[in-house]
Amino acid sequence: MFKRLMKTEERNPNEGRLDELFRAYRESSPDPEPGANFMPQMWSKIEVREASTNWFGSMAKALVTAALAASVILGMLMSSMNQSSAFYNGTFVDALVKEHTASLEPLHLDRLSELEMERQ
Amino acid sequence: MLVEFELITRAQGGDAAAFNQVVTAYRRRILGTISRLIGRPEDVEDVAQEVFVRLYFSLEQLRTPEVFEPWLYRLTVNACYDYLRKSRRRLEFRMADLSDQQVMMADAAAGTRVQDDDTEKRRVKDTVNNLLGSVSEDDRILLTLKEVEGLSLKELEKIYHVNENALKVRLFRARQRVLKNMKDVTQPSSRIAKKTDRLP
Repeated sequence: MFKRLMKTEERNPNEGRLDELFRAYRESSPDPEPGANFMPQMWSKIEVREASTNWFGSMAKALVTAALAASVILGMLMSSMNQSSAFYNGTFVDALVKEHTASLEPLHLDRLSELEMERQ
Repeated sequence: MLVEFELITRAQGGDAAAFNQVVTAYRRRILGTISRLIGRPEDVEDVAQEVFVRLYFSLEQLRTPEVFEPWLYRLTVNACYDYLRKSRRRLEFRMADLSDQQVMMADAAAGTRVQDDDTEKRRVKDTVNNLLGSVSEDDRILLTLKEVEGLSLKELEKIYHVNENALKVRLFRARQRVLKNMKDVTQPSSRIAKKTDRLP
């Protein structure tokens, strides 16, 4: 494809003129001399960016530390709340059974005869 | 390479003096490239400083010092793109202006002797700026790097991260678009004849 394109290029009479213009342009625009403040300004820009990078870095670190501390504290709080919970976690039936354990004591058949004799 | 690989390695290691030497070696070349890419002399130093600031913070990412120069050019081109995008200061080159410039060139070509060398230089600069301004930003930057800065296709490959053939096609098309806009320059007599016809 490129060869085909090149053939078209070869036919263009302005190619040489354009090359000449580019060459003349390069010669007529030399590299400018840097100003006296170039290096100091560059270093001050580096320092400013470094400082802001450090500030953001330390802020990010502080945020991560705070988040970790908060999650540890919350975890500890949750576990202590579970241990000393004022609420009963069993079902309603469990609660009833617990409440009436004494009155629902199983019958002792061996003691029945003793009770009858006492009654007589 | 304008500096030794060892100097770049030292700068990578955080040696400020080595970094200073690298900047000193390359700053003129970078200033020249930027001035030809953005066309705003008052902002050239600012953009160049931005290039070196970016270089300072990304130097440790450079794997091998051998690719330092294309890498620096890549940073330069990106900084120029950012500048052009951000400030939207790209000069508006209208075809009407281009025609005027072409007429001036045609006059010169037809025999109007330019006595002042600076004037001639300015004319060349204006003509090329107008021609490059008549194509897209991408075309202009690519052509400037290749034709004016004199970068090889190998170097451009490293800057643009595309293969040589794709680059050749892009360059060819960019050149064709520029050539399309300078058609009239090669036919000065006809234009001048037309101009003369209109004279009283």
